[in-house]
Amino acid sequence: MTTDGSLAHKAGPAQNAGRPALSRPFKPKWAWLSNLVLLIYALLTLYPLLWLFLSSFKTNQEFFGKPFALPSTWHFDNYKRAWEIAGIGPAFLNSVIVTLSAIVLTLFLGTLTAYVVSRMNFRFKGLVMSLFVAGMLIPIHSTLVPLFIMMNEFGILDTYASLILPYAAFELPVAIFVVGAYLTSVPKDLEEASMIDGNGYWGTFFRVVAPLAVPAMATIFILGFLRFWNDFAFALVFINNQALKTLPLSLSVFSDGYGTDYSLTTAAMSIAVIPTIVIYLIFQEQIMKGMVAGSVKG
Amino acid sequence: MTNSGRLRAFIAVGLLPTLFIYAVFVLVPIVWSAYYGFFDWKGIGASKFIGFDNYAEALGDPIFWRAFKNNLIIVAASIFGQLPIALVLSLILRKSTFFQRFVRSAVFMPMVVASVVIGMIWGYIYHPQIGILNFLLEQFGLGSWIRDWLGDPSINMYAVSAPVIWANIGPYLVLFIAAIQNISSEVEDAAKIDGAVKSKWLYMIVVPMIWDTIKVAIVLCISGSLKAFDLIYIMTGGGPAQSTELLATYMYNNTFEVFRYGYGSAVSTLIILISMVLVLGSQLLMRRKQ
Repeated sequence: MTTDGSLAHKAGPAQNAGRPALSRPFKPKWAWLSNLVLLIYALLTLYPLLWLFLSSFKTNQEFFGKPFALPSTWHFDNYKRAWEIAGIGPAFLNSVIVTLSAIVLTLFLGTLTAYVVSRMNFRFKGLVMSLFVAGMLIPIHSTLVPLFIMMNEFGILDTYASLILPYAAFELPVAIFVVGAYLTSVPKDLEEASMIDGNGYWGTFFRVVAPLAVPAMATIFILGFLRFWNDFAFALVFINNQALKTLPLSLSVFSDGYGTDYSLTTAAMSIAVIPTIVIYLIFQEQIMKGMVAGSVKG
Repeated sequence: MTNSGRLRAFIAVGLLPTLFIYAVFVLVPIVWSAYYGFFDWKGIGASKFIGFDNYAEALGDPIFWRAFKNNLIIVAASIFGQLPIALVLSLILRKSTFFQRFVRSAVFMPMVVASVVIGMIWGYIYHPQIGILNFLLEQFGLGSWIRDWLGDPSINMYAVSAPVIWANIGPYLVLFIAAIQNISSEVEDAAKIDGAVKSKWLYMIVVPMIWDTIKVAIVLCISGSLKAFDLIYIMTGGGPAQSTELLATYMYNNTFEVFRYGYGSAVSTLIILISMVLVLGSQLLMRRKQ
């Protein structure tokens, strides 16, 4: 079962790149046609996002009067208004706090546990691993009601912790499998040397294992960022306090579509989307492979 | 001895906090939802044990079954929408030229956008008065096609399925590309020597060779249908008149809108059971076909 995670770190699509045989079934004379279809398809996928960004610079009249035109004047102040009037600023800050805390928790515990399960033997190891696998088959939304009731009794509903802890809990199995699979592929020599040098288990973990696992941890960091930053269902159920609302939750207030300020709304939506798109543009390949590896398990 | 004691302590510290958080927030809630399902409870005040009444009520509620059917529509839309598109694209996009990587990235892009934002964008596209879709139909002289895409119960399930398909093709595309690249080139060369033509090559070589991946993809489509909650909740909230209700919105509305916590817990348990049955059932079915 640990082999699943290794998908994220294999060369993937690149490994057979340039193998000419595979391109043969599509004859060259059709190549331009398939490329044209591909281009249209790609633009069709990108257009709704492009429309969102263009709309965020328009006035309300332009928004529904000329939905396909460029803004006649670029209203950058829409962003300022969304940040201040629509309360997107505090929501942005909440999203940063919750996302980063959940990521730190996931990375620390996930890497530590991955080190233990990939390098050490203990009783019930099989049972522990099957528990982690079982959890990944659970539809996440079916836990909303019992989690709500439970956190209500613990008194952590409507706090940052009510998001951070469940986020980390659901991401930990992925982290353990991805980091664990990565560590299995790394030779033990460095750790053994470090133990002989008298570093102890903790010293070895912090000075040798964690730095070695950085590539796998980076994958978990990015996937966790996207998942936590975009989450709506948990925030909807567990957060009621206006001051603690995350970005997707604050945006949902506008979703009704009737009688709202469109330039304000599209600017707020853009503010929520820009960080994930920037991350995506920087780490594309890693995100594609990581998400596939993660979802194959989910 | 002290050394093995230290090892044991390290293993304990490495495992226990993780297991604790994981168990409390993932495993225990499932058991609890099954348990709370036996109670009539409004969230405050006393709860009353009522045995299987909540479960029986859900299974006897036509809305529950409509929600189930709507979930199946999403599953069908994913399997017959996402997978064929992804498969065809993966055959064209196997190489790694700059153009192909661009298309791949574009197709994957919606995956990183919050589903709330996707739901809102499509809400604008479908909007009866200001929506781009109706605007386009008008421009092209197809005024008779104009309708309230999300409000008309005869079509709105198909309307909400479109963004589900649109947003989720990326991972299947990447999955299929990886699978196709693992087909050994000897198989392909042999097919070519035997003179297999394009279409035959696809049906007789590629599909069987990546059948395991397709199976995984079908299971992902099934489990993914439950994740459509965000999109549907934003676009329609399950309405109008519960025409786009999914199991997850049905659970949400019963619990947090009308405050029937016991009933909502029972529905949660049924969702877990249904998804397990669907996933296992689909795997058995596909094994037999093979």
